[in-house]
Amino acid sequence: MKKRNARNWAAMLCLAMLVALLPGCGKSQSPAPAADTTIKLGFLGAKTVNNANYGIPGEKGMKMAIEEINAKGGVLGKKLEGIYEDNKGDSREIANIATKYATVDKVSAMIGDPSTGLTKIAADIAQKNQIVIFSAGATGTGVVEIGDYVFRNTLLDKFAAPSVVDWMINTKGWKNIAIITSTNNGYSTALTPVFKTAIQAKGGNIVAEESINDKETDFTAQITKLKQAKPQVLVFTGYYTEAALLMLEAQKQGLDIIMVGGDGLYGEDLKKLGGKAVEEKVIFYAGFSADQPSPETDAFIKAYRAKYNEDPDMFSAQYYDAVMIIAKAMEAAKSSDPKVFKAELAKLKDYPGVSGKTTFLPDREPLKSPVFLLTVKGDKFPALLEKIPTSAPQQ
Amino acid sequence: MRFLEQWITQIIDPYYLRIIILVGINIIMALGLNITTGVTGQLSMGHAGFMSLGAYTSAIVSLKMGAPFWMALLAGSTIAAVFGFIIGLPALRLEGDYLAIVTIGFAEIVRVFFLNFEPGGKAVGLSGIPQETSFTLVLLITLVVIFFTQRLLSSRLGKAMYAVRENEIAAEACGINTTHLKVLSFVLGAFLGGLGGALYAHYMYYISPQDFDFMRSIEILNMVVLGGLGSIPGSILGAAILTILPEMLRVVAEYRMLFYGALLVLLMIFRPNGLFGDMRVYDLIKTRRAKGEKPCQS
Amino acid sequence: MIWQQLLNGLTLGSTYALIALGYTMVYGIVQLINFAHGEIYMVGAFVGLFLVTVWDANLAVAMLGAMAVCMLLGVLVERIAYRPLRGKSSRLSPLISALGASIFLSTLMALIAGVNTRRYPAVQDVGSYALGPVQLSSMQVIILLVSAALMIGLQFLVAHTRIGKAMRACSQDLDASALMGINVNRVISYTFAIGSALAAAGGVMVGVYYNAVWPYMGTLAGLKAFAAAVLGGIGSIPGAMLGGLTLGILEIMGVAYISSSFKDAIAFGILIIVLIIRPQGILGEKINKKV
Repeated sequence: MKKRNARNWAAMLCLAMLVALLPGCGKSQSPAPAADTTIKLGFLGAKTVNNANYGIPGEKGMKMAIEEINAKGGVLGKKLEGIYEDNKGDSREIANIATKYATVDKVSAMIGDPSTGLTKIAADIAQKNQIVIFSAGATGTGVVEIGDYVFRNTLLDKFAAPSVVDWMINTKGWKNIAIITSTNNGYSTALTPVFKTAIQAKGGNIVAEESINDKETDFTAQITKLKQAKPQVLVFTGYYTEAALLMLEAQKQGLDIIMVGGDGLYGEDLKKLGGKAVEEKVIFYAGFSADQPSPETDAFIKAYRAKYNEDPDMFSAQYYDAVMIIAKAMEAAKSSDPKVFKAELAKLKDYPGVSGKTTFLPDREPLKSPVFLLTVKGDKFPALLEKIPTSAPQQ
Repeated sequence: MRFLEQWITQIIDPYYLRIIILVGINIIMALGLNITTGVTGQLSMGHAGFMSLGAYTSAIVSLKMGAPFWMALLAGSTIAAVFGFIIGLPALRLEGDYLAIVTIGFAEIVRVFFLNFEPGGKAVGLSGIPQETSFTLVLLITLVVIFFTQRLLSSRLGKAMYAVRENEIAAEACGINTTHLKVLSFVLGAFLGGLGGALYAHYMYYISPQDFDFMRSIEILNMVVLGGLGSIPGSILGAAILTILPEMLRVVAEYRMLFYGALLVLLMIFRPNGLFGDMRVYDLIKTRRAKGEKPCQS
Repeated sequence: MIWQQLLNGLTLGSTYALIALGYTMVYGIVQLINFAHGEIYMVGAFVGLFLVTVWDANLAVAMLGAMAVCMLLGVLVERIAYRPLRGKSSRLSPLISALGASIFLSTLMALIAGVNTRRYPAVQDVGSYALGPVQLSSMQVIILLVSAALMIGLQFLVAHTRIGKAMRACSQDLDASALMGINVNRVISYTFAIGSALAAAGGVMVGVYYNAVWPYMGTLAGLKAFAAAVLGGIGSIPGAMLGGLTLGILEIMGVAYISSSFKDAIAFGILIIVLIIRPQGILGEKINKKV
């Protein structure tokens, strides 16, 4: 008898939980009508845990752009409103957040995420809900292919890496190349083949191939192995934290080598962590440099410094541009409906953004020029090393 | 069936529907782990390994071979069950934390394998998996799984499993084939883990090896322990709470995980045996857990 | 190259061993996998960092300070998250409160210190000496010496002091020890304090040696150290040392001679094989089951 009671009790409780849950679901739909007075933009990016170093400046850039637009009277007579959820660099989180933006908040566009893998998840949800998604950092392949609501504005690896490899081999004469990949980093595992193809095409030799993992700190074994292979240059396709740690370990073991990488190395922590070990030894490419600014970039840098008391980086510039480009497209289309203004967005040509000049190619891929080779010089990060032309897109 | 789906998608907001579906998937996986760890007492801390095998197998089957959805589900759960069998074998020699580390190691090996697995897209993961998992399907499968585990646990076999947990030697002395049961509990747990993984893959559209890391295994284990070891309503409630709680805590923004951690501690202090741990649906061995019950003496 | 790699493995292994000791000591007495242990190691690294950057402390002071703070923290975690559950619950329940405590601590640290990886300022010159075919850095020498000293100290404490005797008694039978007049709660507190202090020392040294301290560093290190403790035979102090060193060397040799992309799979694969051959770990005692 007692047993029976316990079971009933449990079942009742479960039912009660479910019933309690359901009314909560219904209620959520009610606040929708109020949304018409503002145009909402959803922020995608991490503010804690993984990749927060890309998301935090991104959020600042986005906030600044929204404030500037609102100060000038908004878009189509409405104020812009940003919603800033933290996706922790986690795939389930971003899927939940993107769904929330699309269905609960009813945003006109989502801006982000800085990473390719997470952008793809959000892009699928945005496409299904017919909302524009504008990534300000996804450099890998297979993003805009998801659908016609998906845009991005960043220097693509497939355009940048070949020109950098060309510079390495033909300008600098570094032919013996070692590659280190971060196995658990999607950006890195996607970038390595791009570099390898380019190296083979330009006649370089890959003398060593090693892998590490993000969030690990012990790279002694890999560097010891690298010392035996005697490469002239090391291509590292991962992020800045591991780049700094690799260079520190190389310094410790007396291995003097130049490291070349993608814009994953673009983070001030590279300098803070690496110190002397990375100074003028780590070279990475990006579509943004604060060193030889255009008038737009210059104004942006001054305003950003005044507001946040720090220098903007590539992500703040790209999120800022994303908001500005979307606002421009909405004005041109005279509508904040994603179904309407996405057509205007696709027509973007030679837009003088603060993160460089951008044109959307017919397949909606952005073409940014030129490629900036950046490094660390003394206290300066990032310092411009050289400007090289972007290799022509294979149409 | 189709009518129910349409009706549900109309009355429930997609964001909440999404969470409800994730609750359903987690219930399936928690019930699976409950058989292995909760009922039979074989501590498994690598359930994410089975989940990832199910997810990847089913995704590859439907993406690369274009197989129908039910076949993908079946393939995913079967492969997971096969690995459950393989992992069940060391369980015959190992106990408690030694077994735990073997299951952790297994899940890590699976993760590293998929990080280096070219057809699975390495760390980039697989995207474009058809989104076949619907609310009605998850509801249906969850109900079927609840029904079957309920039948299993109240059967002779299920009671024998509880006996293995409570006292292996005594169980063996009663003529229970403990070897057989331990492996079976792993196979069943892995099958449901793989099924959950396959549903997850076909719901999320995108999977990557990082989705199935050590913390994911611990999360599923938490659902079982929080709900109460060996209790079906417990696992259901545990899965529901641990899926919904992080979403509800979104309001406290960056303090979210702080609250989450503190709540886990508080929940355990006030319900040390899990939410349904004191309310035992079964009553095989009469001794209450008066003092430091040890499912497996080590 | 093999000698250099062996040295790399020994250094990595001794940091694992220091964390593994805390796991194994706590386990030996209360049969609890203290999942918050990795976070205590993380807090230790941060306290050391704070002392070095804000108060210009040298390495020894930073390490002692971190050990002191973490002793308190370890005891506090035990009082809040584990003691209320002791004796009242199944053996797995404290696992959840341990995990809760671990999430709480790492998030708290992320809120205080930010999520960025930080480095120690140069507290120790990174001079390196050539020793035959091997490059030995001064920090490696410090790690090896300090770990060895701490482990010998711990072995002495457990074998020759009153509290050590009480710890050994408790690890054999908690109830019987209580009947013999041992204050069990006090012994458990001491165990957490000592284990946490060792983890803190490990945290500071790892921070200085690898130049990387961040709020979520505890999870991975904790997992590896737990594996090391089990490999050596959980509950056994020499086992934890041996397990840590073995795991460190296994990982490095896996990278050096097999494949760097399968590093963790190789280490765990060998671990599983060892455990199947020797189910109680390398130095663990075989306990006969009683009915």
